[in-house]
Amino acid sequence: MASSSYSNSPCAACKCLRRKCMPDCIFAPYFPPEEPQKFANVHKIFGASNVSKLLNEVPPHQREDAVNSLAYEAEARMKDPVYGCVGAISVLQRQVMRLQRELDATNADLIRYACNEMPPAAAFQYGRRTETGHGGTSFNQNTGFYYPSQWNDHCGDNERSGDGSM
Amino acid sequence: MTLKGGTTSACAACKYQRRKCIPECPLAPYFPADQTKVFQNAHKLFGVSNIGKILKSLDPSQHAEAMRSVKYQANVRDRFPVYGCLGVIRQLYYQIQLLEEEFHAVLAQLEMYRQHHHHHHQQHQISSLPDDVPSQLELAMAPPSNSLPFFNQVPAQPYTNVSAMPVSMQHSYSSSNNVGYSPSYMDSAENVGNNYLWIQHPFLATNSNTSSNNGSSMAIQSQMLVPNSQPEVVQDYNEIHSFIDTIDDRQSYIDSKEAYDSRSEESLKDTTQSMEHVAVNELKSAAACLSLTSVN
Repeated sequence: MASSSYSNSPCAACKCLRRKCMPDCIFAPYFPPEEPQKFANVHKIFGASNVSKLLNEVPPHQREDAVNSLAYEAEARMKDPVYGCVGAISVLQRQVMRLQRELDATNADLIRYACNEMPPAAAFQYGRRTETGHGGTSFNQNTGFYYPSQWNDHCGDNERSGDGSM
Repeated sequence: MTLKGGTTSACAACKYQRRKCIPECPLAPYFPADQTKVFQNAHKLFGVSNIGKILKSLDPSQHAEAMRSVKYQANVRDRFPVYGCLGVIRQLYYQIQLLEEEFHAVLAQLEMYRQHHHHHHQQHQISSLPDDVPSQLELAMAPPSNSLPFFNQVPAQPYTNVSAMPVSMQHSYSSSNNVGYSPSYMDSAENVGNNYLWIQHPFLATNSNTSSNNGSSMAIQSQMLVPNSQPEVVQDYNEIHSFIDTIDDRQSYIDSKEAYDSRSEESLKDTTQSMEHVAVNELKSAAACLSLTSVN
């Protein structure tokens, strides 16, 4: 096992890779030696070289965020090799849809009550408010919805939902 | 690269690696030749060998689903290089929180309308009594069985239960029981009384204490909000949530949309009952991968 000639102990990445931890090691700031499992997971799922390339493409001030998100995804994939963190996304997306439907139904009731007690013009304005909806987010509008085929009534859309356009 | 004299083209994986695509190529079913970008994303994030390891560790029946999730994850990472799927999850939690808040507000308004409607209805009934028959309310007598027993038993705090009702509604889909929202169950006065009892049931000891109601509502609401408020949940991810909350990276997510289309409108076919049942199982599976143990 390579030993570092510097005063600082090697980072978790270099310890795992059994190499000398240089001062400009790209992993060192984000994989402290006290958290060996963090790098082990990331290395197992993504590979150290891939992580290194990803970090090099990200601005330095965002690398910590990138590493932590990779660590999160790696751990999720370790726990669920089939879906990884995407399973949680699917669950949450369905929850959003269900909540939106509940909200729409409740708004419809509210409009009914409002129409009974308010002038038609005011009730129309109230109804317009409910049509704006939640507005969506840049994340969800760009990533679309993920539906695992076994959770669909129709099973023929493996390709449709898996290509990332979703 | 195509096979000599053959009609089938190499899959995207073999084409990228510039190697011969054999009939038994494990990646060929999942990366057809026309999806070079998808494979590049997957290769960039996972690498061919790691994708192969994932496939080898799974039963063949799970390969398709696993590859779909791999491709989705890789594409999201390509779209959002810093946060990837974690950013999507965070955004979804935020969206759920907003929807729940709006839902509570609408329910509160609806309750006010119902109270108002019920009050008018009661006044109409009282005013329709003959003058020579004293009101039972005035005489403080026990009401007959065909009157409004539940209404008379309810304490005169109509607006304290407003906070409880959203909690019950929340409790309905957090616990996936059948206490769902029915738009028509408030039609009669008895139903109103039943509704009050139903609302008060989770807070039987505290229905006269508004602050306790709010505390209980907060306790149940916490089950539905972002899991970083749970001490037992995602202890490995606490640091992720803490720093992400301070960073607004939305501008970097707004890119051109020609690469990926949203297909959200095409799959809204589940019934409410099946979604509740599925949601329970899905939450449990999400709990398995995210250590979410309190979502029931």
